[in-house]
Amino acid sequence: LPALFAAQPRIHPQPRAAPRRIPRYKLGSLPAPKIDRAPIRAPQFSLARASFVVMASPVVDVDQLAKALYGLLGHKRVSFSEIDRDTYARDMWPRMLLARRAGKPEALRPHAVVWPETVGEVVSIVKLAVRLRIPIIPYGGGSGVCGGVVPVLGGITIDTKRMQSLRSVHSDELMCDVEAGLSGERFERELARRGYTFGHFPSSIYCSTVGGWLATRAAGQLSTKYGKVEDRVAGLTVVTGRGEVIETDGPHRALRGPNWTQLIVGSEGTLGIITSARLRVAPAPQIAIYRGFEVDNVNVGIDAIRRVLQRGLRPAVVRLYDELDTLLNSFSHKVADDNHLNHSMAPQPTRQDGALPHWPSSPPPPDGVIEKLRMFAKNRVGNLRRDAMLGGLGHASAFNRVADTVSSKLAKRGCRVIIGLEGARIRTEVEAALTFAELEAAGARDMGEQPGLSWLSHRYAVSYKMSSMFRDGAFVDTMEVASRWDNLPELYESVRAAIGRHAVVMAHFSHAYADGCSIYFSFAATAPAGDLHAAERLYDAIWNDGLAAATRVGGTISHHHGVGLLKASHMANEHREAMAIYRAAKASLDPAGIMNPGKMGLDAHIADASIAIRSPTPTEAPARFPLDEAKP
Amino acid sequence: VSEKLHAALRSIVGADFVKPMVESSGDIAAAIASDFFRVSPRTPAEVSEVIATCAAHRTAVHPEGSGRRPTTHGRDRDRVFISTRRLDQIVQLDETSLLVHAQAGVTGTRLQEILGPRNLSLGDYPPSVLAPSLGGIIAVRTPGKSSARHGFIEDAVVGVSAVLANGRAVHTRVAPRRATGPDLLRALCGSEGTIGFITSVVMRIHRQPEARFATAYLLPSVDAAIASVYLALREEAAPSGIRIYDLAETAAHFRGLPIVDQLAAKSKSGALMTVGTAGPTDLAACDRDLVASAVRAEGGEDGDHEVAKIWWRRLHHGETTPASPPTFQVMATPRKLAAVYRNVLDAATAAGASARAHVSRFDADGAIVFFSILRGTATLSVDTTDVHDNALVELCKRTATEAGGWLPGAHGLRFAPYLASLHAELDPLGIMNPGAL
Repeated sequence: LPALFAAQPRIHPQPRAAPRRIPRYKLGSLPAPKIDRAPIRAPQFSLARASFVVMASPVVDVDQLAKALYGLLGHKRVSFSEIDRDTYARDMWPRMLLARRAGKPEALRPHAVVWPETVGEVVSIVKLAVRLRIPIIPYGGGSGVCGGVVPVLGGITIDTKRMQSLRSVHSDELMCDVEAGLSGERFERELARRGYTFGHFPSSIYCSTVGGWLATRAAGQLSTKYGKVEDRVAGLTVVTGRGEVIETDGPHRALRGPNWTQLIVGSEGTLGIITSARLRVAPAPQIAIYRGFEVDNVNVGIDAIRRVLQRGLRPAVVRLYDELDTLLNSFSHKVADDNHLNHSMAPQPTRQDGALPHWPSSPPPPDGVIEKLRMFAKNRVGNLRRDAMLGGLGHASAFNRVADTVSSKLAKRGCRVIIGLEGARIRTEVEAALTFAELEAAGARDMGEQPGLSWLSHRYAVSYKMSSMFRDGAFVDTMEVASRWDNLPELYESVRAAIGRHAVVMAHFSHAYADGCSIYFSFAATAPAGDLHAAERLYDAIWNDGLAAATRVGGTISHHHGVGLLKASHMANEHREAMAIYRAAKASLDPAGIMNPGKMGLDAHIADASIAIRSPTPTEAPARFPLDEAKP
Repeated sequence: VSEKLHAALRSIVGADFVKPMVESSGDIAAAIASDFFRVSPRTPAEVSEVIATCAAHRTAVHPEGSGRRPTTHGRDRDRVFISTRRLDQIVQLDETSLLVHAQAGVTGTRLQEILGPRNLSLGDYPPSVLAPSLGGIIAVRTPGKSSARHGFIEDAVVGVSAVLANGRAVHTRVAPRRATGPDLLRALCGSEGTIGFITSVVMRIHRQPEARFATAYLLPSVDAAIASVYLALREEAAPSGIRIYDLAETAAHFRGLPIVDQLAAKSKSGALMTVGTAGPTDLAACDRDLVASAVRAEGGEDGDHEVAKIWWRRLHHGETTPASPPTFQVMATPRKLAAVYRNVLDAATAAGASARAHVSRFDADGAIVFFSILRGTATLSVDTTDVHDNALVELCKRTATEAGGWLPGAHGLRFAPYLASLHAELDPLGIMNPGAL
């Protein structure tokens, strides 16, 4: 080190590196890329390589693993079965759904899946993994969209869902203690029963867990009022990669030193497993007010919501749809008078449902003749729509141009804004009046309550449209970037243009803050039928170009979906030199490098290279697996 | 410090800005450290060069902000103090996003003076919080750097530039929120210069409020006053300042004003509560009225609102307070506040002394109780050299922590091994402000 220091020239800020173009995510059957084990850009000093172990593909003795795990958890809560390993091989990352649709078997599976029930059990599993040098992959609801739970090197997937109690609600401190595996829906219902809300309503609330939210810095639909999950966490109980429990609870602002809670929140399992958390709750809202507005164009809308937020007002929901999104929204809501059939699987909350909707009752059985005719007509229309959709998506940039013209000419009403406020009655009413007045002063036109209520009742439906798009041969995904207000229009234009070269793209602005806002791009594209690799290349191109555009104009590459595998190779551009601090935290909390390897750009070459299909090793021979015979 | 290093530092920042510590400061600690040097770089690039040079010489670097903390470092190794005094530029004022990018040597007070004429402000933080340099404000974590209306000051930091032990500059990305891994700037906030030397900060700012109201209330007890605060906060009131005085504290702070007799007539255990609200006029009035109705629900009544105006002027406009500074302060969560207050008072009385207190700096974590321990009429200082007085103060502090309070400056001991290996990674030579954490 001293020699290095002595030789070190005067240091000046380094020019920003060009985005690294490397082949990524060889999840299919493409040949394995060369493993580049050199650091991305070796600086003069050793901070680019922290001293955590970068795992290679582990050699796993399954018999030894099985014996040890059965010893720890018994036979019921450990699985080596094919179906469990397939189930826990991925989350809802659309890129992996492409391979799934093409009938490819899961390429990367965990060696074992376990369901611990206590912190002590998690500790012993992690210690075992350290001893055997195999990876640990924490798994919550599996609703992630970035591949954060993909076991790129195999290992033990720890499903946290059996740690699911809401231990206590401290009403006088507005805090609750909750275990990480509790599903969002049950968490919210439990709180509602006691007169509180966590205020976190992601569209995945039915299939995501509290631990998953914390691990990814998730946001709910009402985040403008309640904040993102990192704003609501007061402390964590974490099992670190050393197999030790640390509690970051307590009024941590009274303690000196770095904020460990905020260092672990968002680490996506790379530093440790969150087993429980102390979260801030709010009294259940006494009143909810929803309203729709329309503005001439996106820029007027951005200005209007900025004025509201910077006046110190905190609506719960702020959404501004761009022209195409507004057009499609109004189209779908007008045409689809049989909306309940279109989204028959989606929960449709009404105002009376309170915080959370109940599942819809199943649609009536199609037994009558009229019903049959109706379904026939619907299918015919559906096919026509599908053909038109695929035709449009096949020429994405042309479609975007036409849509621009059509939406700006036909939809003369401009862009839609949805505003919702909720909370304590008196203050919410005052804030609502001030908010609506501010919007009108900024040029927005009040459209009454209906658009707001319409959004409210369809707010969980969008995810349920995805599967029909996939079924029809296209793919869809969403990209959530954010920046300060100052360069928000630039971020919108540049990312939209970057995605628009490959896919049909629309956007809405939501999750607004006094200093900036998130933009939620939805895109749909299609590749030649049956060509998985073409689809994957197209998918990668969209993401690479979109994220590079976001970084170029100073935005962040993720507002609330996280990083996982999807954005791992963009982390170096996002954080630049500051990645040294993350690497140091990794070396501190997980020196053996067993926690969720390959993610977050910490050990990029694993994500890049190890994803090539590995032929099963002899130790993975299924015949030796203690499956059903092991069950008591 | 070797002549070679001295020459190198002079070549980086200029001979005028490398001075022996003893010249600019007359205190004892500085005299001990007479051959330590203070370097005052002008730019972040110079900070990089200074730290890289010191690293090459294995010389410890200590950040120095407004220099209010005494320097008590031993002579066991060479040390260079890097002052942020000349890092005093506002890099950018973004009035669209309401963000200010300022260098670490700008004090919060100075920044308020710059923002004020533009109708902007850092927020309703107590002036004592804003007195140090920005680098010092966010590098050292102590409770109470918060306001009920604008939250914790560290949450207002959206970006940090810092220099690591190898002389490399890091800049965290500025975005309203992120989901791109751990919040790396939170490693720098509170790290007291052991992870990186903070060179500049991007902070949220606010428009000056349209309206301000200051109101005073008389309550039957401190407990009732605390309860009324949380009742109002539950109704989502967001006051810009709240303070609760017990009777003795009211007498000390508002000596000679009729409010003292009014309160004494109401109850011997009564409390005075002063509240400031601010924001759009309707909202500030709404908050004021929510607090007023919470006070009435707890058996309180309106006091002389002029008292609240005096309190606000003293807090924010530099009017002097007749009361002596409190002996010590304790942070407590909402549930523990009343118990901490009562137990310390009882302990002081049982020990043949007395105590008075005010509760202030309410935030999402709780509030801070400022205790004055009195022997006769004299307020004890926390640094008292008298053995008996010192034992009394220690007894009161211990009572406070036993009742669930937190004394500021506590270390998170359970993180010590993790912090040590974090330091070992980022600062293998141990040059970054050694001894600070």
